[in-house]
Amino acid sequence: MNQAADSLLAVHASGLVKRYGQLVAVDGLDLDIPSGQFFGLLGPNGSGKTSTIHMLATLIRPSRGSARVAGHDVVHEAVKVRGAIGLVFQDSALDRTLTISENLRFAGLLYDLTPAVIRERSAELLELFGLADKSNRPVGSLSGGMRRALDIVRGMIHHPKILFLDEPTIGLDLPNRRNIWRFIDRLRARTGMTVLLTTHYLEEADSCDRVAFIKNGKLVQSGPPQQLVESLGRHIVEVESRDIDALAQRLSPKLGPCLKDGEVAQFRFAEEDVTPLARLQSELGAQIKALRWRRPNLNDVFLWIAEGKI
Amino acid sequence: MMPWRPVYAVLEREVVRMFRQRTRLVAAMVRPLIWLFVIGAGFGAVLGQASGLSYQQFLVPGVLGMTMLFGAMLAALTVVYDKESGVMRMLIVAPFAHYWIVIGKMLAAALAAILQALLLMLVLALLGYVGQETRFGVLVLGLIATSLACAGIGMLVAAFTRTLDNFAAIMNFVIFPVFFLSGSLYPVNQLPALLKAVALANPYTYGVDLLKHATLGVLSSGMGADFPLAMDLAVLAGFTLAALIVASWRFSQESAYEPMIHILTGKRGG
Repeated sequence: MNQAADSLLAVHASGLVKRYGQLVAVDGLDLDIPSGQFFGLLGPNGSGKTSTIHMLATLIRPSRGSARVAGHDVVHEAVKVRGAIGLVFQDSALDRTLTISENLRFAGLLYDLTPAVIRERSAELLELFGLADKSNRPVGSLSGGMRRALDIVRGMIHHPKILFLDEPTIGLDLPNRRNIWRFIDRLRARTGMTVLLTTHYLEEADSCDRVAFIKNGKLVQSGPPQQLVESLGRHIVEVESRDIDALAQRLSPKLGPCLKDGEVAQFRFAEEDVTPLARLQSELGAQIKALRWRRPNLNDVFLWIAEGKI
Repeated sequence: MMPWRPVYAVLEREVVRMFRQRTRLVAAMVRPLIWLFVIGAGFGAVLGQASGLSYQQFLVPGVLGMTMLFGAMLAALTVVYDKESGVMRMLIVAPFAHYWIVIGKMLAAALAAILQALLLMLVLALLGYVGQETRFGVLVLGLIATSLACAGIGMLVAAFTRTLDNFAAIMNFVIFPVFFLSGSLYPVNQLPALLKAVALANPYTYGVDLLKHATLGVLSSGMGADFPLAMDLAVLAGFTLAALIVASWRFSQESAYEPMIHILTGKRGG
């Protein structure tokens, strides 16, 4: 990779491996994220998302392979990498005994910002995140949603080029999740920075420019969310029956592989025209409890990948 | 180059927290005074005076040292609290080499110890226990060198401790032995051979000795300082440096560091 191309890539990882004894958490991952992109790293629990983020953020060392973040090598220029990124962890990184403004002052000083700059940016970011009137409240007295918002403000205080969000909305209720996303959207609109997101709530990844699914530390699929969803098929067909195994066996030659969950089997259907499905419904008659079809979404992509069927 | 603003941030946070946790501060003042007035008065009555020096006067450098030992240990152990509470996350993502976290925390612990010792000295001065015979230059040296060495002991413990659940064990197996097996309560030179050997190996002994130089001087009765001043300084400086190196090494070590990352982030690879 030459220098010019490198500067256009916020993240460039090649052959990244992380081993913990026998366990291979990340297994030869290649990842290119252009500057300014909103990128989602998705995958089941234990698939290696967090290990990947931690390697890119210089907190753990790759067992093999290399990565450049904001143009700097994560092993040999770790301090420079840390200066260019903001990192919001799954769990809070705040001092609950200090107030909001004291926490931001502490965080800002760690990034070598002057008190004046810290005050200015804190005011601006707290306004953006709806916390402006609470700056003297101890963090311990804030709700979970407010603490999360403050965590992101904390990760933004030094105006990073790249923001890593590791499950930013985990454990939050729906209104708070929506709020957090409204804040992040505003932030992206204002700064145009690169954002690398991991999340379990796949509808949150819908607005990503590109997502990558990883499983067992390997990249399985990547692309714009809409494209991945479309590659799954035009419809997802759900068939409900008491004897789901027999039914699956009967339908598989016609509809391909299926995902079974309790009394429901899901098939992918590539055609836009659903008349064959209506015909199938009347053909099966009393053998099934229900047959319905719907548009696929990212959750389906996730499930099919997690089950290893694509 | 020293990242002075981040180091200052760590110091400032420690001081803010110290004055906010009033009970910790009050305990730091009351504990030595109990030793001085309860234990000191009790043993003083039994022992009588040795060459015009009351046992309480003998105890003054010991309780000064005690304040610094407890103050620095508790402040250094906030490293473990920071690991548990998540504040360490703020520190490890910040753009400086990770050994600066150890240096910053050690300086912060020493500063907390010095501030508490100064507060105690104010109380002792008002009560007439810090008199004109005090050598202030040596006292300043004593406060700095002893607080740093105590912070070093604290950082060593903190670097090898995962959770504060072990706090009682740390009190029983580190802080108390370090305090008792020093010259705080009795002159080192008059100890039985085995205890004396342990006291000689205890770096904190030389901190108390330095404080004895400041408040008692060298006395013909053997109740004053036990070692030459230069030896105290050399041992304290050497130990502090060694503690700093070991704690930094431990902190940057992957095998110690990665489990910490996983504790910090909840789970592995999720």
